[in-house]
Amino acid sequence: MVETQGSYSAADSGKVLPTVARGGAGARGGIWEFEVVGRIWRFFTSVRLALVLILILTGAVLVGTLLDQIPGSVLSDSAAHAQWLDRARTKYGVWTNAFDFLGLFNVFHGLWFRVLIGLLTANIIVCTLNRWKGIWATVFPPRVRMSDTFFQHARYNATFAAPMTLPAAAERVKRSLRRSRYRVQMETGDESVAIYADRNRFSRFGTFLAHLSIVLILAGTVVGGMWGFSDSEFIVAEGATRDLGLGTNISVGLEHFTDEYYLEGPPKDFRSDIVIYEGGKEVKRGTTRVNSPVKYKGIRFHQSFFGQAAVMQVKDEAGTELFNAPVPLAWQTRDGGRPVGSFDLREQGMTVYVVGPRSGETDPLVPAGEMRMEVYKLDGGTLITADNLSQGTAKQVAGLSVTFTRESRFTGLKVVKDPGTNIIWIASALMVIGLIMLFYLPHRRLWALVKRRDDGTAEVKVGMTAQRDMSLEAEFSRLRERVASALRGEKSGRTSAQGDKDV
Amino acid sequence: MYELSQYAFVAAFAALAAALLLHLVNVLGARGLQAISVGGGTVSVPTFGPILDTAGRYGTILTVNSFAFLTASLVFRAIASGHGPFSNMYEFSVAFGWGALALFLYFQFQYRLRTLALLVLPIALGLLAYATTVPSEITPLVPALQNDLLLTVHVAVAIIAYGAFAIAFGAAVLFLIQRKDSIRWLPKKALLDEIGYKAVMVGFPMMALVIILGALWADIAWGTYWSWDPKETASLVTWLLYGAYLHARVLRGWRGERSAALLILGFGATLFTYYGNLFFGGLHSYG
Repeated sequence: MVETQGSYSAADSGKVLPTVARGGAGARGGIWEFEVVGRIWRFFTSVRLALVLILILTGAVLVGTLLDQIPGSVLSDSAAHAQWLDRARTKYGVWTNAFDFLGLFNVFHGLWFRVLIGLLTANIIVCTLNRWKGIWATVFPPRVRMSDTFFQHARYNATFAAPMTLPAAAERVKRSLRRSRYRVQMETGDESVAIYADRNRFSRFGTFLAHLSIVLILAGTVVGGMWGFSDSEFIVAEGATRDLGLGTNISVGLEHFTDEYYLEGPPKDFRSDIVIYEGGKEVKRGTTRVNSPVKYKGIRFHQSFFGQAAVMQVKDEAGTELFNAPVPLAWQTRDGGRPVGSFDLREQGMTVYVVGPRSGETDPLVPAGEMRMEVYKLDGGTLITADNLSQGTAKQVAGLSVTFTRESRFTGLKVVKDPGTNIIWIASALMVIGLIMLFYLPHRRLWALVKRRDDGTAEVKVGMTAQRDMSLEAEFSRLRERVASALRGEKSGRTSAQGDKDV
Repeated sequence: MYELSQYAFVAAFAALAAALLLHLVNVLGARGLQAISVGGGTVSVPTFGPILDTAGRYGTILTVNSFAFLTASLVFRAIASGHGPFSNMYEFSVAFGWGALALFLYFQFQYRLRTLALLVLPIALGLLAYATTVPSEITPLVPALQNDLLLTVHVAVAIIAYGAFAIAFGAAVLFLIQRKDSIRWLPKKALLDEIGYKAVMVGFPMMALVIILGALWADIAWGTYWSWDPKETASLVTWLLYGAYLHARVLRGWRGERSAALLILGFGATLFTYYGNLFFGGLHSYG
């Protein structure tokens, strides 16, 4: 270690100064000899780069929050995309095209956002690796014996006269530091005893835990994106069973949906009793509710939304049943916000839309207790016929007998498989542990030198080096008092700067 | 229990307002004395000194009282409602005010620093005043909020983080007012700088925990740990800003005006996180 105060504070705090960072890359030699690699490495060692990236990301995130964002399902469909932009134009006017071109309507899944995240990750990894050596050297193994010059120049220092023998004085210093929960190491010589004391030395590694946890979290999102899947609108009507798809052999049936309300009006509980089948065999049965999903083989079934369904029955002229199932009215009509659902009759080449009454008011088109049926051609979508059906009464429509049997309900589940979440939670735990180590249990170091005087008594010098980020004034004066009272002798050194009066 | 909680709230509010008044007398009086002595006036300074000091001491006592009443108010309400203060803006505002007072008292006793009261007490008072403008009735929990333990911890950690950031903000503002240590009734710049940093050291890990617990809850309730919801996003930005402050200070030695400005910006982001849902809606619509 260099024996000037300035260098101490830098090397000592284990934080890498810009000069050290620059030297670090060159000094590695070997694989870093290539100038290009060295340049790239140096570019990523810059903390300023991290600050700039964080500020840009902050701005990007604000833009992404303030502007409406295009949903993922719309993005992949160019017609829907254009339609979305038309609607956005009423809000953002002439800026709409420019915003779209710059990707401001799709900030979080856009290319440049990913590039920024990638750069920040590289930046964090390189900075962390770059600091490893310095931090390791600060902690292992500590230098126990310091020179007189060190104690003269240390930011915090004090000297005490100890009216006792050298070993006795050293022992008292050691005990007083131990009582302050410092770990003490000694090097005993004939004329002097050198003491090094520290506490929370592992605190320094908190910074690695915290930074690497960020990288792990990003890795978790990648794992989730690559090996996970999700369907946020998996709809099953009561009594029906649907295949999950998404490369699984699983289907889900809804036995019953329940919604409960408090007397005052707000909702109390939404729950679906579901049955899970794999390869046609029942494998699990459970109730999913908000805040308690049903899990099967890493797939989670979350209660998300619910709505009305209509059980429809269709027979042909011969009386053969063509269709008999609940139809979830899970969408809204474009004109009046009526619930609507549909089913196909492939052999007849028809799509049947079922429209329910608007809720909360008397609907002139669809009276309560009725369902409106609109039949379209499967190819081309021209309207064949439209009519209202009252419950339980069959009606002849386009040569078919159609019955609205009864009202029913559907549940909307969010089905997720995300193998990345475990990584995220482990990383989160590491983050919190790392930050608590770093900020709540900071590393403290103190050196002492006990010297034999000519008259047989001893002299004790103690010193702490400055830390770049914070003052050790309070900690040092506490330790100084401890050592002084342990030695029961007179003390010298700087007096406390803090008065007793409140300011 | 609900009535008791309301009475305790009113008592806390009154005590806090009185405490702020006494602190103002204490500090502005001292400032007046400085002006007089600088001007070479004839007023006998020693006569006023003890009176001002007494005002400051009673200000502190009243602050402690207010804190005790507010604690009682939160406890009574938790007993009445059966859950922590997380279900609406009233509960969360009172809790935030409690957090600001708790951290203020901690830092005041740690550093014997009354002046911070001038900035932190108005923030706490403002939060309590806001609480009186929103409905305070206890309403039953909607399904998404039926996760008592997780949400209570989430909010408890949040108020510590927000309280710490309020302290850092107060210290930063005083730092900017204090010019070259020339104002005697203000603490020294170095001390204010350190208090700001210490407060962020308390708040930053807590803020990380707030975000993580929020993500955990979102994952359980909605099946996704992150959806760039306005409140989520704002909390992340807040955390990143304080992260930038820490890195600028530790690695690049930023002190003084620039880092004080970052602390003020950070608290702006904190308030935005806190109130943002009122402007944007989103999943976090209850508070």
